[in-house]
Amino acid sequence: MKPTRALAIAFGALLLTWVAQAAVGYLQVGRLEPVLNEETNLTVPPVPSGLAHTGARVFASQGCLECHSLSARGPKDSADLTRGWGQRRSVARDYLFRDPAMLGTARIGPDLSNIGARMPEGDKLMQHLYDPRLLKKNSTCPTHPWLFVKKPAGPKAEPDALQVSPDGWHQLLPSYHAKALVAYLQSLNANYALPEAPLK
Amino acid sequence: MNRSRLPQGSTAALVLILGSILASLVGAGLQLLANTQLLVPSLDRLIPMAWFNYGRLAPASQFLLSYGWLGSGLLGVLLILAPRFSGIAFRYGRLLFGGALLWQLAILSGFTQILLEGSSGLIGMPQPRFVSILLILSFLVLGTGLTRGLGRSWKSGPLLPRLYLLLALLAFPLGLGSAEALLRGTVTPGSVQIITQLLWHSFHQHLWLAPLGIALIFQLLPTLTGRAATSLNLGLLAWIATALFGGWLGTVRASDGPIPSWMQSTGVVASILMAFVAIGNGLLVQNLTEGRWEEIRRTVALRFLSVGAWSYAATYILLAFLSLPWVRPVMVFTVAWPALFEVFHFLFLGCVLAGSVYALLPVGREMGWPNSSALTWHFWCTTLGAAAAASGLLLAGSFQGLALSDAGVPTSTLASYLRPFLFVVIFAQFFWLVGQIAFASVLIASLLRLFPTAAPMAVFRNPTVIRPASIGHLHG
Ligand code: HEC
Repeated sequence: MKPTRALAIAFGALLLTWVAQAAVGYLQVGRLEPVLNEETNLTVPPVPSGLAHTGARVFASQGCLECHSLSARGPKDSADLTRGWGQRRSVARDYLFRDPAMLGTARIGPDLSNIGARMPEGDKLMQHLYDPRLLKKNSTCPTHPWLFVKKPAGPKAEPDALQVSPDGWHQLLPSYHAKALVAYLQSLNANYALPEAPLK
Repeated sequence: MNRSRLPQGSTAALVLILGSILASLVGAGLQLLANTQLLVPSLDRLIPMAWFNYGRLAPASQFLLSYGWLGSGLLGVLLILAPRFSGIAFRYGRLLFGGALLWQLAILSGFTQILLEGSSGLIGMPQPRFVSILLILSFLVLGTGLTRGLGRSWKSGPLLPRLYLLLALLAFPLGLGSAEALLRGTVTPGSVQIITQLLWHSFHQHLWLAPLGIALIFQLLPTLTGRAATSLNLGLLAWIATALFGGWLGTVRASDGPIPSWMQSTGVVASILMAFVAIGNGLLVQNLTEGRWEEIRRTVALRFLSVGAWSYAATYILLAFLSLPWVRPVMVFTVAWPALFEVFHFLFLGCVLAGSVYALLPVGREMGWPNSSALTWHFWCTTLGAAAAASGLLLAGSFQGLALSDAGVPTSTLASYLRPFLFVVIFAQFFWLVGQIAFASVLIASLLRLFPTAAPMAVFRNPTVIRPASIGHLHG
């Protein structure tokens, strides 16, 4: 084989792979648009708030993705949906406004694509982040105490201090990163139907 | 030793190989630490620091192992090998040296960034953007050097190694460059971002790392056994198929989910075809090594390369199995995938890299290998360790997969299915690390000429031969 022919074949094969996946993928799922939810008169999926957007990066940087996926799988009677990990399967449109868009490749822990529906309360999520065993005795989800600032408790607690204290005379204040991460987790809630994915 | 007599590019190769060994030791050590945390989750309470968390250690060690250990090491041995394809010696040795240093800088900064600031969350690309840019810049220098080694006319010299090297040299900058541009350069819709991540994942594993390994196998096995690959047509077909299908294999990492289903199906078909490609290449390897068991047993480089070549076939057969339509949905989010990468990185690429270092490092350098028992330690600890770790993960993954697909199994107990196997995996990975430390010490001692006697061709000390008589004795 001549070098020029080898080069042409190799380059052609790589180009074909790229075009078929990235370009055709763009045409097929990249141009999806949000749809109008008749009940609420809002478009879905919702555009995440700036804080939630930052939270996605915190989620990535804390490595939550090493143990948690962000994709619930169908059909209706699938193990994922039966477990309550979602009301419907995750589809391409759900990821429209995600940046970075994360799918996850591991499930050491449960899927979190709908954690905002399962644990809507901000304070619960904060406690889970600080130390998951505050809520569940034997949880094996890691602690993330560096996302909180420990301050001596004054005569009255600061408004966003956690409802638990590590030792009784300190209070825990969530850092900006913790607030962003919790906003992101709360935004993970696909409680609406999409044309291609009805609720179960 | 007279430095000016060393071939150009040889210092660059040495920097890459030494950097690679260091990365393998640190990367495997951190991987061990990360897996220990899965086994003993309370460990993170001991050192409550972000960098000690599983979420940081896991991506940092993966980055070190794939970009640092394998990427750097394979580039290093190829810098020694490529001029011999064409007989064209490198020029601009200083430039290559600079490129090699830049690659190490990229690895070091990527590693510290992931550990201290966290992963980007992108599959196959945990490093920050500037690290990708450093890697591409360094690659432009090293890759241009390697391209020169391919030569202008391919009338004489080996064909298959050149073809695979060419494929890899195209795939790395194209894949990483365009993935960076799409994922962090422009506003790409999230759904396309996921496709792009899996696309780069495929390019990185199957069109960059794997072809580098195959190029080394097809160049060094014939040289060491003194045979030529028998069927060039089969080899060519396998190469074209690798170029065509390699980039599709990542899509099987998604099951259902946001990737168009035709892409997932194509990925499944491509994975199954790649198993046949690997078997085809395996037949060529079989012809190269058949009847040479005595040499394979004696010669360190040949034994590592043979294990690497067989593990190449095993990797793609396992990948095809994990992609089968009734296996994939069960195994997709389990540690069966880390098992595959254990075979792919540690048995296939790791053994090919070790064999190549043994075969190539003495080239043009007045150095040799001692006849030390550390060679035996290196071989057995790394191969048995990696094989045991892969088996442990595969078994763990199977139980995990079955538990995940049974809604009756409570969510909070899912992780407990991994625990019994993690013992085996951690022990096995420790074993691998011991073997790699043996390798590092032989290498450093040989470079420093600490051994009184050394030969350019490393051989194992007294390979144990099981004679029929001793078997009879055991049974008697
Ligand atoms: C070492 C793996 C690991 C990492 C890393 C990890 N988790 Fe977990 N997580 C688990 C496991 C295992 C569980 C299930 C145990 C339990 O019931 O708490 C879990 C449970 C959870 C739950 C409760 C889910 C439910 O349905 O009750 C939430 C929320 C959660 N993790 C969030 C996170 C976030 C956010 C991060 C990153 C900051 C993270 N996890 C990092 C392993 C991990």
